[in-house]
Amino acid sequence: MTLLLKQLFNFLKLLNSDNGTNQLAMGMSLGLVLGFAPFISIQTAIVLALIFIFRVQMGAAFLSAFFFKFVAFLFDHPAHLLGKVVLETSSLKSLFVTMYNMPLVPMTRFNNSIVMGSMIVSFLLFPFAFVLFKKLILKYRVSVVAKFKDTKYWKAFTATKVYGWYCTYDNLYG
Amino acid sequence: MTEQIQKPAKKIKGPIRWEAIVPFLIISLVIGLYFHFFFDGHLRRGLEWAGYKAIGAEVNIGQLKTSFFNASLRIQNIEITDAEKPTHDSLKIGDIRFSMLWDALLRAKIVVNEAAVEQIAFGVLRKHPGKVAPPDPVSNEPGFAAEQAAKLKAEALETAQGQAGDNVLGDLISLLGGTDATAQLEKLQDSMPSKAMLEAFDKDLKAKQAKWDEKLKTLPQGKDIQALGDRLGKVKSKDFKSAQELQTSLQEVDAILKEGDGKFKQVQSVAAELQSDLQVLDTQYKTIEVQIKTDIRTLEQHFRIPKLDAKALTMAIFKRYLSPYQAKFNRYKALAEKYVPPNLLTKGKSNDDEIPIQPHPRETGISYEFGRPNSYPLFWVKRTGVSSQAGLSPEAGNIKGEILNITSNQALIGKPTTALLAGDFPDKQIMGFLFKLVMDYRKSESEIDYSLKVNSYALSGKDLVQTPDVQIAFQKATGSMDINGKLLGLKNLTLNFANSFSQIDYAIIAKNEIADQILKAIFQGIPIVTLNVKASGILPAVNLSVNSNLGPELQKGFEKQLQAKIDEARKKVQAHIDQEIGKLKAQVDAELSKLKGQVEGKVKQTQSQLDEQKKQAEAKIDLAKKDAENQGKKQLEQQGQKALDDLKKKFGL
Repeated sequence: MTLLLKQLFNFLKLLNSDNGTNQLAMGMSLGLVLGFAPFISIQTAIVLALIFIFRVQMGAAFLSAFFFKFVAFLFDHPAHLLGKVVLETSSLKSLFVTMYNMPLVPMTRFNNSIVMGSMIVSFLLFPFAFVLFKKLILKYRVSVVAKFKDTKYWKAFTATKVYGWYCTYDNLYG
Repeated sequence: MTEQIQKPAKKIKGPIRWEAIVPFLIISLVIGLYFHFFFDGHLRRGLEWAGYKAIGAEVNIGQLKTSFFNASLRIQNIEITDAEKPTHDSLKIGDIRFSMLWDALLRAKIVVNEAAVEQIAFGVLRKHPGKVAPPDPVSNEPGFAAEQAAKLKAEALETAQGQAGDNVLGDLISLLGGTDATAQLEKLQDSMPSKAMLEAFDKDLKAKQAKWDEKLKTLPQGKDIQALGDRLGKVKSKDFKSAQELQTSLQEVDAILKEGDGKFKQVQSVAAELQSDLQVLDTQYKTIEVQIKTDIRTLEQHFRIPKLDAKALTMAIFKRYLSPYQAKFNRYKALAEKYVPPNLLTKGKSNDDEIPIQPHPRETGISYEFGRPNSYPLFWVKRTGVSSQAGLSPEAGNIKGEILNITSNQALIGKPTTALLAGDFPDKQIMGFLFKLVMDYRKSESEIDYSLKVNSYALSGKDLVQTPDVQIAFQKATGSMDINGKLLGLKNLTLNFANSFSQIDYAIIAKNEIADQILKAIFQGIPIVTLNVKASGILPAVNLSVNSNLGPELQKGFEKQLQAKIDEARKKVQAHIDQEIGKLKAQVDAELSKLKGQVEGKVKQTQSQLDEQKKQAEAKIDLAKKDAENQGKKQLEQQGQKALDDLKKKFGL
């Protein structure tokens, strides 16, 4: 829990700083894929591994996954219809037969209509989501963070000792 | 003044999180340690809990061992408590072990080449009594209470019927002893519903009679109809001097006719009312006749007048013997109803009013199986070897057999699931046990064939009938059993259960000496007793038919002694009914027919009188019309003759 909270604080800190735009955008995009994937599946394990191995912002990824899980829930029926169409396409049948009998691939549960539909949607949205999240973060920093830092309240707060202590702590342990 | 805090320039980190290696290794180690030290124990307790929840009786697992690298599982000393006898296990299995193929596991499938089940024992005494789940608490869901009440009522009725069946022999024997029912019959005379109904009907009938007497008085009487006839007689119907006179007569007849019509309609409406009243009385009377028959049956039951019927006698003898089997069947049926998916079993009647509100389930989608010849199905246990050696424990048996192809997709592997187990339990004197099972789901309608044979098993001290009047038991006997049947579409069940008992040492005691002699003579003449049970029907409603060679023999044996007594008792009951109700019934019959005759006669008479007057009036009108026509013709002829005469005069002819 502490680790999770730390990740969330880091996410907020990074979001309000000038650095790590790509890490945040990638984390949120991978969170989208995570949200659309079933909890027990190999693609979830792969995405989690990617999040852990690469320097992707974990807090952003988990927050995004939490949000997109609800979106995926609402998207179940259209995903089922899309997956059904794909899985019933006769030209793809031989490919699916091969995939189904290959090692590890069946662990993606691609043979389920909802999983297949959600997987297609999440993979298609992934690059667009990355670009969109990056733009939104930049815009947020310009239109919200910069303006907020210009306010007298913030300036007054940064002049306090509490903020000084926080900065010292952040330099040492952050 | 703000103090500017100078942050030291941080070293830019690469894209890979190298610093996570150590935490990752620690987490992996913790997981590894958990699986090594704790997982088996948790899985064992989980399985025990799941087993208790599913079966409703304590399940114990002695030892459980899993191996990740071998993908294997070994469970030892599985004990399933007998819910009806918690001090004993219903089943004990010494060892179950299997290992899954990693090749299949990597494809998200479970395939077991060979599983082994060893050391099977039944009815083993437990170290401590097992826990048995209490019955489900009564739910407050709407409609549930009514459902439960109906269920309890049905169960109570079934129990009462069962007890009645058990008492058939007792009734026969008490009748054989002879009982005087006359005194009791007198006490019962006021408690016959049919008598009360007849009295109420008689009262009703009398009220109706008074009402109809009043109603008949309002009907046109003979003098009224005669007055109409007299008026009609006075009306002129010929020799009209003028058209005015004719018209007056016609108007007079028309008025009489209308008056007659009104009276006729009044009679008709009364006749219709009478008809409907008579119909109601007839219906009430029929209900009373049905009640009289019910009363006769009730009296026969009250005085325990038995039926000398082979089937009823068979049920009476074997009810106690079959009830444990029936209880087991009901228990497994309840388990099937609980766990088999609703689309496979009909669970109760669909009643839109009683559908409970429930959240909409999340979409589950369709899972496709893209199999190909020789590929793995989702689940497949190719062979399960079953073996058990008698002697290792007193309750263990010699069992050898195999279960082949337990799978989630029979069509893919092209084989049905089969089981063949054979052996014996020497300690329990069960010899020549053979169990065969074929479960074929490849067809559109699944087919399960099963058969169980036991060449011989020992019976001792088996009570068949235990009533205060009679006790019959197999002190010692050797039984053999053959059960076979089919289950189609997991719904349509047929079962044939053939049981025979030989080398029987009977224990028969009857209070009545004659009964004692009869029963001993009958049973001594039957060295082999057969019992055949046939069940068929759509689950859960299964019809049972029980037959035995004992039934006809008992019927024959008792018939000579008892038929006359039964007939005599029946006659007594009939006479009592006749005495109590017959007089009243005859009186009511007479009153009813009198009322019918009286009222119907009166109505018919009035109707016919009115009809007569109507005909007379119509004849009068016809006569008047004809006369008027004749007179008109004559006038025309006279006028024509006069005109001709005038013309002749004009021309001087």
